[in-house]
Amino acid sequence: MAPQESTPIAQPAGLPTAEEIMEPSPMAQMRKRVFGHYGIIIGGSTLLLIVLVAIFAPLLAPFDPILDQDLADKLKPPFWHDSPKYDPAHPLGTDLQGRDYLTRLMYGAQISLLIGFSAMLISLVIGTTLGVAAGYFGGRVDIIITFIITTRLSMPVVLVALAVVSLIGSSLWIVIGVLGLLIWDQFAVVMRSATMQIRNLDYVAAARACGCSTFHIVAKEIMPNVVNHLIVVATLEMAHAILLEAALSFLGLGVQPPTPSWGLMISEAKGMMFFDAWLIGIPGAALFALILSINLLGDGVRDVTAPENRN
Amino acid sequence: MFRHVLKGLPIAAVALGLSAGAAMAGKANDTLVWTTDREAAVADPYYNRTRELVIIGNTVWDGLLFRDLDTGEFKPLLAKSYKWVDNTTLDFELRDDVKFHDGSSFGPEDVVYTVNFVTNKDNGVLTYKNVSWMKSAEKTGPNSVRINLEKPFPAALAYLAQAVFMMPEGHYDAAPKDAQGKKDFGAVKPVGTGPYMITEVVAGDRIVMKKNENYMIGGPKGTPQIGTIVYRTIKEMNTQIAELLTGGIDWIWDVPKDQAERLQDSGQVTVENAKTMRVSYLAFDVDGSSNTKKFMDKRIRAAVAHAINRQSIVDNLVGPASVVIHSPCHPDQFGCTDDVPKWDYNPDKAKKLLAEAGVPDGFEFDIYAYRQREYTEAVISDLAKVGIRAKLNYMQYRKLRDLNWKGVTPVQHMTWGSNSIPDVSAITGVFFSGGKDDPANDPEVNKMINEAGTVTDPAKRKALYKTAMSKIAGELYWLPMFTYAKYYVFNKDLDFKTTPDEIPRFYTAKWK
Amino acid sequence: MLIYFLKRLGVAVLVALTVSVLTFSLIYLSGDPAMALAGEEATEADIALIRRVYGYDQPIIVQYWDWLTRALQGDLGRSHYLKEDIADVIFTRLPNTLILAACAITFALVLAIPLGVAAAIRPNSLIDRFALTVAVVGQALPSFWFALILIFFLGIQLRWLPITGTDSWMNFIMPAIALGYYVTPGVMRLTRAGMLEVLQSDYIRTAKAKGLRPIRVLFKHALRNAIIPVVSLAAVQFGFMLGGSIVIETIFSINGLGFLAWETIQRADLPMMQAIVLVFSIFYIVITFLADLLNAYLDPRIRIS
Repeated sequence: MAPQESTPIAQPAGLPTAEEIMEPSPMAQMRKRVFGHYGIIIGGSTLLLIVLVAIFAPLLAPFDPILDQDLADKLKPPFWHDSPKYDPAHPLGTDLQGRDYLTRLMYGAQISLLIGFSAMLISLVIGTTLGVAAGYFGGRVDIIITFIITTRLSMPVVLVALAVVSLIGSSLWIVIGVLGLLIWDQFAVVMRSATMQIRNLDYVAAARACGCSTFHIVAKEIMPNVVNHLIVVATLEMAHAILLEAALSFLGLGVQPPTPSWGLMISEAKGMMFFDAWLIGIPGAALFALILSINLLGDGVRDVTAPENRN
Repeated sequence: MFRHVLKGLPIAAVALGLSAGAAMAGKANDTLVWTTDREAAVADPYYNRTRELVIIGNTVWDGLLFRDLDTGEFKPLLAKSYKWVDNTTLDFELRDDVKFHDGSSFGPEDVVYTVNFVTNKDNGVLTYKNVSWMKSAEKTGPNSVRINLEKPFPAALAYLAQAVFMMPEGHYDAAPKDAQGKKDFGAVKPVGTGPYMITEVVAGDRIVMKKNENYMIGGPKGTPQIGTIVYRTIKEMNTQIAELLTGGIDWIWDVPKDQAERLQDSGQVTVENAKTMRVSYLAFDVDGSSNTKKFMDKRIRAAVAHAINRQSIVDNLVGPASVVIHSPCHPDQFGCTDDVPKWDYNPDKAKKLLAEAGVPDGFEFDIYAYRQREYTEAVISDLAKVGIRAKLNYMQYRKLRDLNWKGVTPVQHMTWGSNSIPDVSAITGVFFSGGKDDPANDPEVNKMINEAGTVTDPAKRKALYKTAMSKIAGELYWLPMFTYAKYYVFNKDLDFKTTPDEIPRFYTAKWK
Repeated sequence: MLIYFLKRLGVAVLVALTVSVLTFSLIYLSGDPAMALAGEEATEADIALIRRVYGYDQPIIVQYWDWLTRALQGDLGRSHYLKEDIADVIFTRLPNTLILAACAITFALVLAIPLGVAAAIRPNSLIDRFALTVAVVGQALPSFWFALILIFFLGIQLRWLPITGTDSWMNFIMPAIALGYYVTPGVMRLTRAGMLEVLQSDYIRTAKAKGLRPIRVLFKHALRNAIIPVVSLAAVQFGFMLGGSIVIETIFSINGLGFLAWETIQRADLPMMQAIVLVFSIFYIVITFLADLLNAYLDPRIRIS
């Protein structure tokens, strides 16, 4: 894959034409591009909504996601089912254990976001460190780091994650750690090539010539210029981590129940999909909306900050 | 290496539809396809410890004896008659009209060969516990044989009927050798005397069995009816249900209660709930080797016992054939008694006991489990209602057993199926005779259990077990929870009787 | 070129070796293999016996060295669990996974390339929006969820397609769609971006100016150049699919390597696990290498340093 590919991808209508961009100040241009971009608006507002729900779940949710359980109340249908079993206290019904589905969905947002964000952060730190080091120093450092990246890429993520989780048992933080340690490759690859390009530019050479420290050059000269790549990869990897957690949970090796994660909710309900499709439909749709919004936001950032859009 | 590639090619061809399609399921094809989620890799009951191979073992092989499920009595199968000579000697008269699937006749040489082979530790039989009670076998006449026991073993007949299958003489001689020159006995072509013979093994995918047209007449297993029986592995329960509903397979089990009930409502398939020999229990860290010393206090254990609504789990999650149990064994097993101290569902009493034990606001601990997560989740939720916060650690069985042996698990929610052996020696004898599996290592209990494992007088055994079990239940080394029940879902055309021991007798099945 | 080839080969061997050490330690730590082999209702004595008979009581270094020396002679050993030669098992199951991955990547390419081209010809048109929708939906759809929905509609409701197994080509349709759809967005975006760039280049303008038929310009000149990065991506994705087919193979009960890998993890079948991970990583290395060669062939500008 050629990761430095930052061509404007899927540029929806509403993006200003080149002529329009000529006049206003850079900030104004940026504002205009951001707010004129459907992807950013839709993705951003959906993500914001999910984040708000996650943060305020304890206030919004009508029940406790774990303790409020009564086996006698299980499998109540959601509001759109015209069924006598429907209970207005549970607008989205109850799960197989008799827990309120809306509540679990709200708390599930916390877990999915936490997993996606933390795993992404870990991989960002690892990947960026390796990538920038390889790109900046080149030579032997580059050879060694490239070797590490190749080794990592040649081990299938799902397989290794499954093996590790089945080895140390699964808990929220183990899943986050394992995913974070596995999905840094894109960060490393992208940062490596981006740093390589910038390292040879005149202003970096100038900074080096006037004796700036390596840290200073990396922090002040290189990072600001690769941060747009970083954001794009970060959104992709966050979505990736959330999907991987869902896949692990599906195979029974994700976060530990009764923690309400959306992946786990799908996994617990999958057996009923032929009978009560909403049980798997609701968390599936939530997961879909979350990934979609993160991806739209990432695409938007890519469109708006791509160098060729910046004149 | 190249020859492996060549071996793969025909499969690729089949996969692309270039050769004939596989056998279809159903009455029209006279083919019964049954499915579980486990891979039956090795088609040999001595070298594969899965339940699937116990089932296939009983379909393809015969033992000397047969257990009548209705009466519980042991009837001769490959034998004509049997008798105890003394505590450690069993004599058999054999049938002379039985043939192996390869056409050779069955005789005492085969019994001698099989017993002496499987009891030899160097042969690495995986089901060693099933055979280790035998010392040797010898031929005593043209159609008679004697089995010598290591020591008095009351459950001998049960094992002979269900777990000691007869192989032809020299059966394992053809085993291929591995790199170190060790023989791989599980890899030989399966040959038995049973109602069906194995014709094809595709590891990880299917085992095909054809009706044995020359099966013995008048034996207690009857005459096989269905032409072909196929075992298939399908991992996902959803996929199993999908295949069953579309006629791709005929028989599944272990269907969760909610799904089974919906399938019953749909009317497209037959749904039955049957007993199993498996029981569920909580084992406590009685000796305080884990990170919490709480469970050394009997009042805490009693609080847990009073807090769990076992009846509700049975009613809502397990199924109608399940019952709550109070002693550490299955009610159908010989020696099991319900006449032991009982701990009823009483959350108020639980809270009172917690207060007495000095933790009125409850406490937090790790609970370990490996099977049916929803059952354990129900336990956790019940405990939460009295203030005890249990954190679930759900993992694979081997990992959990390892942790248990290291003594780090405060409470574990376990199950035990006794290998379907209808005798308490297969459960209480395993867990309370001292050792790593024993949660308490109570010398008094150990002594009684070990003694009960060797006396042959039934009344005396029962008395010993009852005293031991009363102490186990009374001191709450275990909290026995409930018996498992299994939902079987199968093709409406299939005439199939469920059995209480989790060994479906496919050889008795027929089409309606 | 030869030096480059040898270098790549050296790296490949080193990677394979590193991977084998990693897996060996990983699997070994994942629990007692003797206990896995003994099964659920084994007693202490059973397990101790198995540990001794099958050599699990040896130190791990000895076990690894033992394995490595034999693997170098082409002997991957026998699976204690399956009682079969490991190479036999892998090569009988590999075709299923290869067919699945090939079908999936074909599906992805057939769907993505025309869409990407069409979207590039008319940016911001209806078809471009449609392509964009396909892409964002594809990226956000959990593949196992999608697979279950396919089974529900195509398998149960409509009964058009068989659900499990590998008996005919029909069996591969649903899993290929479920597995391939996730790859579609990447391929489509890359095709679209490449086409956009190429269509604005001088030589296309020249070709158009010469009066060549637009369709000829599009396919003969533009697509050929735009497709170069797609080849790399498709190759890498093909490699990932081999490893990523675990979930799909499990759902559709396809007796391939992914399914085997999952089963193997669960029963801690050490030598088998080793072999599978090794096969996967060698596949990845070979495929990326081939993609590099193909790119060098397609694009003479790529010079190997």
